[in-house]
Amino acid sequence: MLVALKGIHKRFGSVHANRDVHLQIGAGEVLALLGENGAGKSTLMKILYGFYAPDAGEILIDGVPVRMDSPRTAMSRGIGMVFQHFSLVRELSVRENLLLAYPHSPWWQGRAHARANRVLRRLREFAPDIDPDALVSQLSVGEQQQVELVKVLNVDARLVILDEPTSVLTPPEAERLWALVRKLAEAGHSVVFITHKLEDVMACADRVAIMRAGALVDVRDANRLNEQQLVELMMGAGAHSAAIEVDAPASAVARLLVAAVSATRDVMHIEDINLELAAGEILGIAGVAGNGQALLADAVAGFAPLTAGEVILAGNVLHSAERSIAHDPRIGYIPENPLRNAVAADLSNYINLLLRRYSEVAFFPRWEREKTAARALIKRFDVRPPLAELSSGALSGGNLQKLVIARELSRPRELVVACYPTMGLDVHAAAAVYQHLFAQARAGACVLWISEDLDDLMRYAHRIAVLYHGRIVVTVDHRDADRHVLGRWMTGAAAAAA
Amino acid sequence: MTEPSVLRRYTVPLAAGVLFVAVALAFFALNAPAPFAVFGAMVQGAYGDGFALSISLVKATPILLCALSVALPARMGLITVGAEGQLYFGALTGTGAVLGLLHAPAWELLPAMLGAALAGGALWGAVPGLLRARLSVNETIVTILLNYVAIRLVDFVVYGPWKNAANLGWPATVSFPAAAVFPAFTVHGTTVHAEFLVACAAAAALHGLVSRSRWGLSLTLLRSNRRAASIAGVNYARNAVAVMAIAGMLAGFAGIMQAADVQGRLQPDISVGYGLSGFLVAWLAGQNFLRIIPLSLLMGGLTASADALQLFAQLPFASTVVLQGLLFGSVLALNGWLRRSKA
Repeated sequence: MLVALKGIHKRFGSVHANRDVHLQIGAGEVLALLGENGAGKSTLMKILYGFYAPDAGEILIDGVPVRMDSPRTAMSRGIGMVFQHFSLVRELSVRENLLLAYPHSPWWQGRAHARANRVLRRLREFAPDIDPDALVSQLSVGEQQQVELVKVLNVDARLVILDEPTSVLTPPEAERLWALVRKLAEAGHSVVFITHKLEDVMACADRVAIMRAGALVDVRDANRLNEQQLVELMMGAGAHSAAIEVDAPASAVARLLVAAVSATRDVMHIEDINLELAAGEILGIAGVAGNGQALLADAVAGFAPLTAGEVILAGNVLHSAERSIAHDPRIGYIPENPLRNAVAADLSNYINLLLRRYSEVAFFPRWEREKTAARALIKRFDVRPPLAELSSGALSGGNLQKLVIARELSRPRELVVACYPTMGLDVHAAAAVYQHLFAQARAGACVLWISEDLDDLMRYAHRIAVLYHGRIVVTVDHRDADRHVLGRWMTGAAAAAA
Repeated sequence: MTEPSVLRRYTVPLAAGVLFVAVALAFFALNAPAPFAVFGAMVQGAYGDGFALSISLVKATPILLCALSVALPARMGLITVGAEGQLYFGALTGTGAVLGLLHAPAWELLPAMLGAALAGGALWGAVPGLLRARLSVNETIVTILLNYVAIRLVDFVVYGPWKNAANLGWPATVSFPAAAVFPAFTVHGTTVHAEFLVACAAAAALHGLVSRSRWGLSLTLLRSNRRAASIAGVNYARNAVAVMAIAGMLAGFAGIMQAADVQGRLQPDISVGYGLSGFLVAWLAGQNFLRIIPLSLLMGGLTASADALQLFAQLPFASTVVLQGLLFGSVLALNGWLRRSKA
């Protein structure tokens, strides 16, 4: 199957998301669609998937023009898409989720039904490690992604679009995905791999199409380009991020004390967490996703009730088992999954930006003044599109992250809790986030920074603690940090050996 | 936060009106020989003269108040069907104050009656609010159930302890003294009761508060994402209880006005489905407090024209309920159709 996009134009309000894009996708090839956040990659592929209608341009399949008026049409043409936000029913098993999405699903869904087992064929082929009877809520993010992919393959998709698939994965999970993508291509599927990570391109792409500001800049064979060239094509010539500076903390006196904290939410536990941070210190929390990171962040920031222990900042008890205050003005908090946890998605950006100083807003607010203030923040933190009145839910993942960071870190804080603050961001935007984050540390804030990026943690954090099964299993100074040793702690291997 | 386009704002009510008239005419044609004449009689019966208009206003007032009491909680995502029960319970507690102060002067009796009615309504609203906030109990179901409780409580007192012995078999309290009657005045032959103006003022005040104040934004935030609201320090429980209590006060006020001004006593049928009409009006108005006022007047007129239909076309009283249904069906169908054609 040969898919061709011709002269695609798409505008959202005053913003050109796509302008005059011409792109061909061949059978059995892996095409990486590379670009910064907001370059228009997802929009272009959502047009191909029938999710958006283009303002101009046409789509040809094997030379025949096709009107993609809905994802249903796209699927019937053999085009499937796996989104960043999964659409799995968490309370159902893998098998049930696959049956739900399967067009020839039998009416009576008995376990032993022959057709019911047919949906598992591709699961066995591409993800043999996943137990079909496991509940989706028990799967890791990477496994859920594989189930989504199998769902798409089950409707006979010959072209599979993956929207930033590695942005939610740990490094080993990403490696598994790259292998899976190569396997798909060998089986004759075409794959479009939307990404802003160069390593994705290097690892599994045949060709790379680079987008910048809505336009297609270049299409090349992936092995013809080195990383430096890719960055220049992606960011434009001469774009360099400013150096990220991290100072050593001025004193060694503990300012933040997390004392014997335990908390429980759903099936997640954290137990007996003890941390001490000096003013200006950056403590990185490493760990494989699903070991209690989000709960730890919520507990320290005051969004999850503690079952035991205390969080003490500068001698004052912030939270304890008896009481907890969500959002003390001294805390800046960037939670995991900002769409769900940090913003009201159907309200405008300027509303979401004022949430942290809500009590300072007049009872009858002067909205024009608030919008002006919001525009300044949006400009300073480079949120795109730079529209104060746009619903926050319409922002891309990376830009939403910037919006939350603008709200939380635009004022000096005494404690900053950041849970995956650079998730979904390209190198450039991630560097900007680190600057804002570490500037808070330089100004004397304690920074609790949860990340899956071990390289970044080792580069910038003063100390690294590893969270495994809800407990801090080891804390090391960044000078003594070793990738492999930390990796063994993260997977529990070191604890088993000790 | 997209506002409907100007075109949409005017075409929907207009087209819905046309559709309603057409469907109503078809309904009359099935039941009477001269549908246009029946329709004319209906309009005449609702708004034709000062007397008809007075009756329509009397019917519109509790609908308006009940609609407000539904629309306010909806702003923070709470769906209440409890206006009917709050109306009854407000009438009950208000009547209790009247019976206790039967011979007191107006300046003592009126505030006591109003205070008791508002407190009763507030209580009947706050309970489902509190259950929702503390125990995550569905407020829609609790309000429905509390409706039955309140209606039966009124039955109990008027058949039992509060029954006027002089009434023989008829269940009702003694007549309220003149001091318990709210003021009314007459303009060009139309009697306007003060409670109608109070209800309009309440609608305007709520509109101003909800659309312009930080409190209105708090409610929107709570509806959108409770966690984001907690970032702003907006407390869900406190707002849920407060909003439901205010809603109860509005309906409770409607209840005591029915007893004091319309019936002159507490009796079992002080409401002819005003709570439900109010619910429908609130949702038709898209929870917009100002749009609720004309829609309530329309509903009040429709209810008031029942007598005209009975006299003129020998249509049973229930036909007004059919017409209400047709009106709502028309508006909802057109709204849905427009939304679909837009998408």
